[in-house]
Amino acid sequence: MTIQFYWQVPTRGDGRLADAAVKLRGERSNDQPYFTAGVTDPRGRQFNYYDHLHQIGKAAELAGFDGLLVPNDPQGEESWIVAGYLTRNTRRVKVLAAFDSARGSAVYAAKNAVSYQRYSNSRFAWQIATPADAAERRANGDFIDDADIPQRTEEFVTVARHVITETGYSFKGRFFEVLEGGFKGPLSGQAVPQVFLTGQTAADLAVSAKLADVHVFGALPLAELKPHLERLLELSAKARRPVQAALRIDLLVRETAAEAVHDAARQARQQGQTALPDQAGLWALQTPGTGAARATLVGDADQVIATLADYAAAGIRVFQLGAVPALEEAYRIGEQVLPALRARLGLTQQQAA
Amino acid sequence: MAIDIFWRIPTHGEPSSLCNKLHHRGDWSQQEGDHIVHRGLAGGGSDGFNSLDYIAEVARAAEISGFHGGLIPSFPMTDEPWAISSFLARETSTFRFMIAFQPGFLNPVTAARMTASLQRASNGRALFNIITGGGGPAQLWWGDVAPHDDRYARTTEFLDVLRGLWKGGSYSHHGKFYQLENAALPEQLLGQDFPEIYFSGSSDAALVSASQHADFYLSWLEPFDQLKEKFDKVKEKTDKLGRKVKCAVRVDIVARATEEEAWREVRRGFENLTDADKERYARFAQQTGDSVGANRQRSNTPKNLDNYQDFILHPNVWSGFSLLRGGQTNGIVGSYEQVAERLDDLVRLGADSFILASTPHLEEAYRVGEEVLPLLQGHSARNSVLRAVG
Repeated sequence: MTIQFYWQVPTRGDGRLADAAVKLRGERSNDQPYFTAGVTDPRGRQFNYYDHLHQIGKAAELAGFDGLLVPNDPQGEESWIVAGYLTRNTRRVKVLAAFDSARGSAVYAAKNAVSYQRYSNSRFAWQIATPADAAERRANGDFIDDADIPQRTEEFVTVARHVITETGYSFKGRFFEVLEGGFKGPLSGQAVPQVFLTGQTAADLAVSAKLADVHVFGALPLAELKPHLERLLELSAKARRPVQAALRIDLLVRETAAEAVHDAARQARQQGQTALPDQAGLWALQTPGTGAARATLVGDADQVIATLADYAAAGIRVFQLGAVPALEEAYRIGEQVLPALRARLGLTQQQAA
Repeated sequence: MAIDIFWRIPTHGEPSSLCNKLHHRGDWSQQEGDHIVHRGLAGGGSDGFNSLDYIAEVARAAEISGFHGGLIPSFPMTDEPWAISSFLARETSTFRFMIAFQPGFLNPVTAARMTASLQRASNGRALFNIITGGGGPAQLWWGDVAPHDDRYARTTEFLDVLRGLWKGGSYSHHGKFYQLENAALPEQLLGQDFPEIYFSGSSDAALVSASQHADFYLSWLEPFDQLKEKFDKVKEKTDKLGRKVKCAVRVDIVARATEEEAWREVRRGFENLTDADKERYARFAQQTGDSVGANRQRSNTPKNLDNYQDFILHPNVWSGFSLLRGGQTNGIVGSYEQVAERLDDLVRLGADSFILASTPHLEEAYRVGEEVLPLLQGHSARNSVLRAVG
């Protein structure tokens, strides 16, 4: 059994606790100095948020994560640019770029992906998700009907897969078309990026059974997740292709459960919630900043390890973890959660990239 | 005002000289012993090097040698410039990434986000070489269906949308090719420089589009009188629309300490050609295609292909480069002084920017930066009269 741990890299707004929106780490706003006039600031404006993104990527790699998840956040930095930037500056981790099937030609996306693979020893992967909100799609120049999204995703993945793996490939679908396509010479023979798809509906699971290498579930209590998980594995068995199950979940881990609950309650208050977490466990608490999971697992390291082990026992093979601030928490989780969790699951400490 | 000089990134690997046909650098040759093999770590295991590491070294050589940056081309058989630029943003300092791409391949909102993000990742070093040319089945290979003339209209509309989003605030657009409703770039991505646009394309439809969005109209080297005519036409057309478009020339050079050495390099490359190479060239010369620029280049082919001197169009201008490597036919050959003089001649007839290239791009970036660029008068050359050429 192998289990992979990804760390989410927030493409905007990361910083200490919940006031991340106030100041971008690494970034100077134009006119407002951070220090008082009585203290010199040697930084000038030579750093920006990318210097912080670089730090997060290195932290996750050093702390023993297997991959980085770069979310597709319309309010953040663009995910492929961030992914390229982080890939070149890491050695071992997979880099999973999330994007949407309205980004343009599937051939062009595939061709760019081939370069990412060539330049990274095949560490690049794709998470394709289209916003459920039609207004958000229209702001992205995308006027597709809800019902057509699965078909477009399917065509996108189909075209991309074929032009990467063969030549003389032609396809004429509703959304994509290619004539005598496929990459030759040194661009040929590259690994198709692992395809991660998301969603909880029956239609989402059906598409994943057909196309995905990994299907990502949002965080739910294990009892609620189980029927979906079983359905996915059933569909995957029926389609005779393996699809791994992934869980996207945020963590709030502290030395003691009491501290964790205290910080969780503070986060909830800052978000204007009135029902505050009062014990360790899975809370519908959105981690501030970008790309929050639908729930946060709150507790001390032992509690969090036990719960994650239960998800693994139920069949989760990929964990997409996140926490704020991403740099500090990558170390905390890498030190206090991953080694003990891996030992408990019988995994070696470091897996080959 | 002064001229900008760029270098080019050899995305298809390259040989160690024009005389050598094996692409030792990069992984385009795959025979045993004919290309650089990354040897792994001394203690065992992969060293992680790949063809991007050579490209990175060329980019560093270009910035160290005084070039603004480099054109990163896009071909069906080569790696993509968006990838190269995002990968190399952190390990270069002043090198500007001139990204060649066809607007039809990207959603304009995605493109705007990518561009603004790359500007932030690179401290404002992204610029574009917008390509629309080609057509027919080649376009469908890329998954793109628009016909030739429509594609320039689409390029125009794409760049309209990019500029609209760049201004900030909520932006809607209902055009022939693109519809957007309440689109916006996020706050922290605003305020970056809009990428300079180098625009390629020789047809009338191209010139109309260029006159609305191009900062530089980019041409291959053509016979000097033809090029002047073309630049005059571009400048006249774009002046009428109230947009001052500058002109740029993309040209290969062979510069050596003496003219004799430069020609010896060309001659040796020419003498290494096989009959098959020449036949392929002759076949290409007889073709016609959708690309007006490529057709213009073919019109200068000599009748027989026996003597390299038959390819000399002007003093120091040789039209046989596409025999020695893929790409355009015309280039400049001569001593450091002569090459600088010919480039200054081009400035006098309208060039404001150059994209230079020479094989191998790494060593030649240093040579050209050290020996030729310091001799260029650039815009100061305009004060003196154009000397008679040809």
